Amino acid sequence: MAIETRPFTTEDFARNPDDYYRAGYVWQVPVRVTHWVTALSITALFLTGLYIANPVFSPEGEAWKNFTMGWMRKIHFAAGFIFAVSWLTRAYWFFAGNNYARSGFPMFWRAGWWRDLWHQLWEYLKLKRGPIHLGHNALGGLSYTLGVVVLGAFQILTGLALFSQDAPTGPMNRLFGWLLPFLGGPFRVTSYHLLAAWFVFTFVILHVYIVIYDSTQYRNGLISGMITGRKFYQRGDKVQDTWLG
Amino acid sequence: MPSESMNIRASTLAGWPMTKSLSGPTTYEVLRDHGVDRRTFLKFATGITATMGLEATFVPQVVHALESKPRIPVLWMEGLSCTCCTESFIRSSHPLVGDVILNMLSLDYHPTIQVAAGFQAEEIVDKLIHDKPGQYVLAVEGNAPLADGGVYCLEGGRTFEDRLREAASKARFVVAWGNCASAGCVQAAAPNPTQATPIGKMISDKPVINVSGCPPIPIVMTGILTYILTFDRLPELDRLGRPKMFYQHRIHDKCYRRAFFDAGQYVQSWDDEGARLGHCLYKMGCRGPTTYNYCSTFKWNDGVSWPVGSGHGCLGCSEPGFWDDGPFFQRLANIPQINIDSWPETVGKVVAGAAAIGAGAHAVSAIAKNAVKPTEKVPVESSSGVKGEE
Ligand code: SF4
Repeated sequence: MAIETRPFTTEDFARNPDDYYRAGYVWQVPVRVTHWVTALSITALFLTGLYIANPVFSPEGEAWKNFTMGWMRKIHFAAGFIFAVSWLTRAYWFFAGNNYARSGFPMFWRAGWWRDLWHQLWEYLKLKRGPIHLGHNALGGLSYTLGVVVLGAFQILTGLALFSQDAPTGPMNRLFGWLLPFLGGPFRVTSYHLLAAWFVFTFVILHVYIVIYDSTQYRNGLISGMITGRKFYQRGDKVQDTWLG
Repeated sequence: MPSESMNIRASTLAGWPMTKSLSGPTTYEVLRDHGVDRRTFLKFATGITATMGLEATFVPQVVHALESKPRIPVLWMEGLSCTCCTESFIRSSHPLVGDVILNMLSLDYHPTIQVAAGFQAEEIVDKLIHDKPGQYVLAVEGNAPLADGGVYCLEGGRTFEDRLREAASKARFVVAWGNCASAGCVQAAAPNPTQATPIGKMISDKPVINVSGCPPIPIVMTGILTYILTFDRLPELDRLGRPKMFYQHRIHDKCYRRAFFDAGQYVQSWDDEGARLGHCLYKMGCRGPTTYNYCSTFKWNDGVSWPVGSGHGCLGCSEPGFWDDGPFFQRLANIPQINIDSWPETVGKVVAGAAAIGAGAHAVSAIAKNAVKPTEKVPVESSSGVKGEE
């Protein structure tokens, strides 16, 4: 059989989809829903957060007729709670979902995960694509964990702690208020919260770029997969997901 | 009977009530001796009740306490400090407040305002420690430098640390007066060469009430002592050991410029239109949103004004480490922790920008590479059966 090396084309796919190009169900509904809820809430959070940190525009006229900062904060808090719920749902789905739902988290207790991690890292250092995974590879999963799960948790916790200051006797303050003195006082926590927001934004830039690149380059349905749940793969690709168990 | 408000939730401490063992004239008796009439006294009692955040039905209880309970003996010590706490304390413009502070406490020893000096003065301390153990309150202004055996603050030939520990060992409880004593203030700012240490970090076997601020508002001191006299217990403290009745809310929560904050109208430079119109000082570095103090409620100098009221942002002087959170006239501090001399947003922009540049560079190189070199192995022909690329 003649093997020619070139990217997939739409014609290849149209000619014989079943052959080497299959659709596999990867992302379950909760994964997809939380992904887009997170994407939207992070966008709202980042934009309103930037204004709260540095209010660049001001309305004219009487103070009582305007509520610009007020609305920014309200939207920020609402989006923050939505993000927190989304985070919790996604975290729950780590346990309840399929294996792919677990592929974004470091399973450092499994030797297979470490193997996959080093293998992937080595391939990347050689500027190669490495083995193809249907879910995340171990390295990608680790980035996801740091960029979304850990940073997200930090933002949720510091955000709730800062928010709890509005009601010093409320339950929120009892639950999260201790974080403020623990992290050096509300003023510094504000700085850390803003700094972490920029790290999240950095993650978003890289994430969006890589997704677009990968999806157009390899035609694996990476973007549409987050809507339909299906990704395309070739024979042999799935083998790499074995570390998921 | 009024229900107990959250302000007077009991702090359980062994050995209370504290006023049982005291003796001597009551606050009211001392005030009468100083020519204060009953009407003025009642006005004071009403005012102080309101200040403590209690409702009017508590006034009789407060009056009764001031009339019937002996004054609390106070030993006032000064360590590394600028004496601004004392200055604040003796200059409270409301004459009665000052009078009451000075009379309500039986201020047995105060290095700045006492007449006695030298050995005579030091004798008073020894006497107080030996004669009234477990009765007096130790009020500390300033803190103790611990570096090099404490030699950076010597009093009467002894290190302040030594004297402080001795006095504290017999005290009923300790009031850490001002930011120095409660959080370290300027002498503990980085790099803290003398290792100035706040009182709460040195004394662990006694309750320490942190009355933070640089300096604190005089009425806060009066309020706390009246509270203790009235209810025979320490006030409820926040996570930093500050009495909740005065340090529960942020400056920002009760600031009269808050309407401008919510509207989004800010002073952009010190002499602009917004500054004249009294807009919010948030962008000029006001620390009100993260500072817990009583200024926006009670103001200074008998309600004449306060920092934000005179057009200057809050510096956050009741918060630990506020000296290290500069520059003061910038919304957020530079990031000292990682030694980058710029504020979080700049750092963030650099990181995000680097990521964007990296992604862009990769895209360009990928496009260039693609033009010359295929990237994927694909079988071009296939029959109807399943075929792999292998
Ligand atoms: S002036 Fe300061 S304390 Fe007052 S509303 Fe503005 S930011 Fe808050």
